[in-house]
Amino acid sequence: MRQQLERVLRETEKVIAGKREVTGKILMALLAGGHVLLDDVPGVGKTTLAVALSRAVGLSFRRVQFTPDVLPSDLTGFSMYDKTSGEFIYRPGALNATNLLLGDEINRASSKTQSALLEAMEERQVTVDGKTYPMETPFLVIATENSVGAAGTQILPFAQMDRFLVRLSLGYPDYNAQMRMLRDRQGSNPMDDVQCVLSREELVRMQCEVRSVTARDAILDYIIRLTDASREHEAVEVGISPRGALFIDRMAKAKAYLEGRDYVTGSDVQAVFGDVCAHRVLLKDGAAGISVGQVLNELLRKTENPDRRGILQGMRAK
Amino acid sequence: MKKYRIGYAAWLLLTLCLCFFENNTGTRVVLLCSLLVPMIPPLRSAFFSPDEPERKAVPEPPAQKSFISRESEDPGDIRAYLPGDPVKRIHWKLSAKKDDLLVRETAAEPEEAEEEAGQDSGAENSKMKAGKIAAAVFAAGILLCLILLLAIPEARLGAQALCNRLFAASEAVNTYVYRRFPVPDEQNILPAAFLLAAALVLLSALAVSVRSRLAVFGIAAAYMVFLAYFGLALPAWIHIPLCGLAALRMMKRPYNRKALKVFCGFVLAVSILTALALPGTDAATETASEKVRDYLNDALQKITGTIPEAPEGETETRRIHPRSMENGNREAETEKEFRLVTVEEEPVSMPHWVNWVRMILMFAAAVALIVFPFLPFMWLNARRKKVHEIRKSFSAGTPGEAVQIVFRRVIAWLEASGYGSGNLLYRNWTDRLPDSFPEGYTERFARCAADFEEAAYSGHEMPEEKRRDALALLAETEAALWKDAGLKQRFYLKYWMCLRE
Repeated sequence: MRQQLERVLRETEKVIAGKREVTGKILMALLAGGHVLLDDVPGVGKTTLAVALSRAVGLSFRRVQFTPDVLPSDLTGFSMYDKTSGEFIYRPGALNATNLLLGDEINRASSKTQSALLEAMEERQVTVDGKTYPMETPFLVIATENSVGAAGTQILPFAQMDRFLVRLSLGYPDYNAQMRMLRDRQGSNPMDDVQCVLSREELVRMQCEVRSVTARDAILDYIIRLTDASREHEAVEVGISPRGALFIDRMAKAKAYLEGRDYVTGSDVQAVFGDVCAHRVLLKDGAAGISVGQVLNELLRKTENPDRRGILQGMRAK
Repeated sequence: MKKYRIGYAAWLLLTLCLCFFENNTGTRVVLLCSLLVPMIPPLRSAFFSPDEPERKAVPEPPAQKSFISRESEDPGDIRAYLPGDPVKRIHWKLSAKKDDLLVRETAAEPEEAEEEAGQDSGAENSKMKAGKIAAAVFAAGILLCLILLLAIPEARLGAQALCNRLFAASEAVNTYVYRRFPVPDEQNILPAAFLLAAALVLLSALAVSVRSRLAVFGIAAAYMVFLAYFGLALPAWIHIPLCGLAALRMMKRPYNRKALKVFCGFVLAVSILTALALPGTDAATETASEKVRDYLNDALQKITGTIPEAPEGETETRRIHPRSMENGNREAETEKEFRLVTVEEEPVSMPHWVNWVRMILMFAAAVALIVFPFLPFMWLNARRKKVHEIRKSFSAGTPGEAVQIVFRRVIAWLEASGYGSGNLLYRNWTDRLPDSFPEGYTERFARCAADFEEAAYSGHEMPEEKRRDALALLAETEAALWKDAGLKQRFYLKYWMCLRE
């Protein structure tokens, strides 16, 4: 594992114990330049994690609590008439000058606000009154979706869910982690101990390096076969989109980079496949008793992995 | 250019002669079919030597030589690996050091050494080429002679007359009476004799020019003379394995010993089948096959509902050979009726469609029977060729390619021994490796799996040590699996993986 990234993870671990795996995945999403959808119950440390991460990497952090009356202009900013100069002045919104945006309960926002956010996520720029303002780089949105108390919420449309790179879940910490959490917070706030160990510029450079990680044809072939198989699975209504395939590739590269390699292996693809694809697969109504996770595991089990594929291709060549 | 093997010539000669001697039509058909056997592509290698690279001495700098002699017990007995060498004799340690597969040669095989010496002495290129051309010319000459012998009516009749004489000679000592060829009494045997003699001379020349196994040729010829003189007509099923054995002896050296073992097992099965399907001249076999044919005829009649035409009671007189009368009872001369023996003519009718079907079935059965004993060789040859190709690629190419191929070989071994983990990525196989493997094997496997992934999925240049690591792992895997394997598993590994000879 890269030492600098390792240090980032260690810093975040100071405030949120036992969640190294998820933190790593968020870091991977950050490296891959994608956005994260957190699917969790309240109070498991989503904000803490995001704040700790932004501090460790030296990113500017903002948090938006979405409610039905949050308007798109709250995010993108708006132009206001200035009496003294007689001109319209642009007032930046929550999205501007932000590296890490935590959008809490995104499903509670109205659909126009949701789409404004998702557009900004995709384009990495906002346009207000015909003027385009680019976002900060890096730009990572961690959106959360609360599964409890979902009454009166706008369910995120399936097509918009596809724009998130990964869907993750923190889950409850185990006994030891909770013990540590309580003990750490007796006298002081551990958040103050989190130091910036990675500069923003370094992170941008790393993002470039992630893009140049080698993914051989065998790996790309594996990704395509996995996504194709998901579309042909009998219990699946909507399979993994081509964008999903692209995201698997990007996430796998980030994973390889995080582990200190400059090439993607089959295990990288397998490791990220579940997180990248869980929210892209829609099961048929009739498919009772099967979860998306089971379907994805079945795909991984049944699709010939690139290691073995090579053998067969070698034989065919002969 | 393919080099002719003397085996092919011997095969041709044996078969054609047997055709003349056999009086059973079915057997003749079978024997003629067997002429096609050497033309079947997978079998060619048994009769013609494949385009293998010429054996060459390993050029070694003196410094290396002293180093080698320190390493091995027999100095100077190390040479480069060539396809066909038993893998057991590969000097792994030296091979790893020299980055080239080297083979240890012990004094156990004087025959091999002798042959090599013979080949080495004539290693000059032009000489070899001339030898090859001469061999091809001789072989073509033999073929031409034999074809002429069959094609020119005069020669064919002459050959038949020759046979009649042979029969006459052999009847003196044999009780078996031949149905002889209908040849005019004054048939000139000179053309046939000339052609046969020419073929024999060419055959000897061929044998000398390719410096092949003269002993087998001699034995085959002696066997023919023996049969001809004593007028023995052994059933065809004895000849087929004999032909096979003769050809085997002349096959490529590293294969024949192993092939011989397999062959012997198959001969038994083949003989039983042949005896049942092809009636020979052996009385016991004849009756047995007669029964089978009767049964089949009955069954056929039940199905088709046709009843074969009753033979017309035509009779024919036949002359007993005068010499048998001289040697036999004198009364025959006095009693005139004794001289005329009435024989019932076999029913001859136009082939019904059923007969056509029967003929086709017989033909197919005959071809199958001829090819059957060679199946194990075909299989072994194919396996071996494949394995040699794989082995060759271990040392060829870049270290990265080699690491991939060698590691896949390791995987193939594990799968063949039932330790495979299916569709799991190779790096995850470590969890399921058995405990019986030597200490530290799992770690080495994991390291090589990582190397494999790097070689397969990155564009990195791999260092030479990785290749050695992988080869060491392969050797270790082979050793461990072979040690663990039971008898059945060993058999499988031996013939399917073609290692451990």
